Amino acid sequence: MVARKPIFAHKEDANAREALTLYEAKQYKKALKLVDQNLKKNLSHAESLALKGCCNYQLGHKSEAENYILRALKNGSTNYLVNHLAGIYYRNVENYPEAAIWYKAAVDNGSHNTPILRDLALLQLQTRDYKNLRECRQKYLESQPGFRANWTALAVSHHLNKDFDAAVSTLDKIEGIIKEHLQEQDMYEHSECVLYKISIIFETGNVARALEELEAKSDEIRDRLSFLEMKANFLLLLGKQKEASLIYRQLLQRNPDQASYYQSLEIALGTSNEAPEIRLKLYDKLSSFYPRADPPKILPLSFLPASHPEFKKRAADYVLTQLKRGVPAAFVNIKPFYNDHHKASVILSIVQEFFENEINNFPPPVFVWANYFLAQHYLYVNQLDKALCYIDTALEHTPTLVELYILKARIVKHSGDFIEASHIMQKGRSLDLQDRFINSKATKYLFRANKVEEAIDCVSLFTKNDDDAANGLGDLQVMQSNWTLVESAEGYSRLYYEQCALAKQEGIESEKSTETMDLAEIYLGLALKRFMSVLKVFQVYENDQFDYHSYCMRVGTTRDYIEMVKWEDKLHSTPIYVRAIRGFTKLLQEVRVELLNSETDETVSKEKKKRNVKKIKQINVKKKNEVMARVQPSPKDEDPLGQKALNEFREANKLLSQLESLVKQLSLEAANYLFTWDLAYDFYKHEKKYVLALQALRSWSKIVDPQNKKLRVVGNRVLDLQSAVEQDGSVNVAIAKVVQKGLESAFPELSEGQENLLSVYSH
Amino acid sequence: MTRSTVALDDVTVNNLGTFKIINEVCLPTTYPDSWYENSVKLPSEVSQLAFYSELPVGAIQGKLINLSHKIPSFEVATSILMNTKLKIVHDALYIESLAVLPAYRGKGVGSKLLEWIIEQTKERFVHEIALHVHVDNKEAIEWYKKKGFQQQEEVVKDYYKQQELPNPDAYIFKMTV
Ligand SMILES: CC(C)(COP(=O)(O)OP(=O)(O)OC[C@H]1O[C@@H](n2cnc3c(N)ncnc32)[C@H](O)[C@@H]1OP(=O)(O)O)[C@@H](O)C(=O)NCCC(=O)NCCS
Repeated sequence: MVARKPIFAHKEDANAREALTLYEAKQYKKALKLVDQNLKKNLSHAESLALKGCCNYQLGHKSEAENYILRALKNGSTNYLVNHLAGIYYRNVENYPEAAIWYKAAVDNGSHNTPILRDLALLQLQTRDYKNLRECRQKYLESQPGFRANWTALAVSHHLNKDFDAAVSTLDKIEGIIKEHLQEQDMYEHSECVLYKISIIFETGNVARALEELEAKSDEIRDRLSFLEMKANFLLLLGKQKEASLIYRQLLQRNPDQASYYQSLEIALGTSNEAPEIRLKLYDKLSSFYPRADPPKILPLSFLPASHPEFKKRAADYVLTQLKRGVPAAFVNIKPFYNDHHKASVILSIVQEFFENEINNFPPPVFVWANYFLAQHYLYVNQLDKALCYIDTALEHTPTLVELYILKARIVKHSGDFIEASHIMQKGRSLDLQDRFINSKATKYLFRANKVEEAIDCVSLFTKNDDDAANGLGDLQVMQSNWTLVESAEGYSRLYYEQCALAKQEGIESEKSTETMDLAEIYLGLALKRFMSVLKVFQVYENDQFDYHSYCMRVGTTRDYIEMVKWEDKLHSTPIYVRAIRGFTKLLQEVRVELLNSETDETVSKEKKKRNVKKIKQINVKKKNEVMARVQPSPKDEDPLGQKALNEFREANKLLSQLESLVKQLSLEAANYLFTWDLAYDFYKHEKKYVLALQALRSWSKIVDPQNKKLRVVGNRVLDLQSAVEQDGSVNVAIAKVVQKGLESAFPELSEGQENLLSVYSH
Repeated sequence: MTRSTVALDDVTVNNLGTFKIINEVCLPTTYPDSWYENSVKLPSEVSQLAFYSELPVGAIQGKLINLSHKIPSFEVATSILMNTKLKIVHDALYIESLAVLPAYRGKGVGSKLLEWIIEQTKERFVHEIALHVHVDNKEAIEWYKKKGFQQQEEVVKDYYKQQELPNPDAYIFKMTV
């Protein structure tokens, strides 16, 4: 908060100072009164304007607030008090880049208020401005050297700048200073700091020094698990196999269910490449030490070849034990070995033989679970008829078992009958309305059957619904249930395309097709709206990290903090997000094509515009109410059908800037997705940014296809780009050359002709 | 398998679907939806699900009645009317349904459900249990006899007529507990 006050020369300034004190004491109404007095006399009094903006924000007049801030900055852009208030305002509205600018301005314009430095550092972390962060942390540390957290924070800033030496020496320094003063309650933070330092040393590649430090500080390290894992790993990397193996054995004693310890132990013992018999001996011994652990039983199945007699024996042991005990996940547990189809057929023969020869010696549930297993097997190998046969037998035997309905619905879904699949799932759900799992499944299947509103009603049985809410949509957003949001968006997209196709059949000008297109319009709006709600959730994930920049330093969980930052940096490569963007951008492209068509054809454009106006009105009365009744959005929703958003996207600028920002975001964070470069290529080609389009093709073939599989989709795009550049009369000659050269050097096959390129890029 | 693999639990709004499907696959008669709804609503209804290795496999439902009340047909037996006469004095428990999935019969599930309802009957200070059985249901007839029920002389003509069973008559079974 604002601590040191500037010198006030005028009456207004004195008033403003008092108002500031009131503001800090959260007396916003009183502060606003004083400020208003000031502004009556002097309309452009910058501090008063800034304060008015902040007070308005706090009092809930959010739409008015920014205007005052902007006016204040116009009148006092070099006034550090105004800068600071603007910074506070933008931080409150979570516009971190803007907030960082004004906090920085406050410092540069002479504020001596040191807490500003700390707040600025948090904003620099949020915006990943690591370069300036360092200086800021350094200055703040100089003003407050008595807190260990400030030293750690400086070290973190060095680390984030990849200046490992500076980070380590900062941590060393504070360790030395604090040594004598450490008390019991400081030991957790101390331990974490030491481990953090060691992890940085390790990151520099100096494993020997990292190990040395780890051993020297052993007594100070509280997190024994990390200590042991690091030590074992370091020893292994340094070639001290024997010592490493002892530590891995110690780790196994702590947690015999951790599969990676067994694998590391094997590396340390040098048995990883030995004959299966030798390795088997090791695992049998470990299994006798830890009879209840799963890994020593299951890991041999991965290295034993399918033809080895021991494979069948052990796989049978593993699978049949679970079948006899009625473990529902028996198939899922063995499935990892299905990537080897020889193993898959051995496993099938095990269960089949059991089924034919022994099943009658066991109580009835074993019969059900065996059928359930076989149905899963045949679903996996895509023999749906057989799968159906087994699951029907199971259902006839025990029609009260929910799992059987889930599996049958899945099989039917794979056969393409989404409606029937959702009926089966609903029937299963009716057996146990309290089962949240099948409720989610039934919801998903309703979405897939394009029954979007029914699906929402179904999942709403498990959401917390506000009094005035007819369904759980609001809660799903708050609970960040991305899968329901994406599924509903995809459902509406399908309905949109369905209506478009229908309208085409009905004939463009018919009365009926206008009605159909109205419905298409509504579904398009709804689909966009739901996709955008996923974007919102991810914005929340991004904003949520803000509090952790300070929190983690304060509680001393630095290693986890670094992990979190790394995770956030790849946030937008989360599969569900990319999936949402895929659907979202596809619809945006539709809007874009619609725009392009109306631009190129003047007559159509007018006709269309006329229709659009008419359309919006018509939707209001008829279809709209009908759909509203089904969708039942929250009464607080200002754009319940997404029509506002859709019409905004009909302005080319908004559409393009949205697309561009998504292209940039994915290129940066989700470079490993084919989709990213597909999107980037299309976008840049349409924008006639041919060099960037070329870049996208290069990334596509290099990043997504490092094995150089030569995908046909890429080959087609190469030719597409070449002809686009050739046919574009407006393109700069130099650029055209750069693109042609670039294409030839990245795709040398091209110089031998297009056919040659396609014959190579054929996968 | 031992009897400990059999467990009992209440019928609730959430598992009514399970109760329903057990009756549907085991019994030739059809109970109206209202009957299932009432089973968790009306205090005079006593019902229970049975589980075998945690799988639901059996169900029983009974209700308190007065024996002088005539029950000429299956529809009367399963109608609300039977329960709304609150003033009547209950002197018997009438078993409306008892069913165990075929694959799980002969494993003590039915006995456990019957034991349970006998206990429920006694707890309600009633000492008579009564029920109807389809005259062709030899299995059930034998089973009830084995369990100590007495077959009454009277045969209820056309008891299952509306349910369209061949030979639609029913025997009455009673047991004093
Ligand atoms: C009648 C029914 C509920 C019995 O359930 P169940 O779980 O098989 O019965 P139990 O396993 O508890 O039977 C226990 C005893 O009855 C015996 N038993 C089982 N089936 C029998 C039969 N068909 N005939 C004679 N005795 C039989 C068992 O051997 C066992 O004897 P024990 O206690 O001396 O060892 C079941 O067969 C059923 O659902 N039938 C179809 C539905 C029906 O007709 N219901 C009655 C309508 S009112």
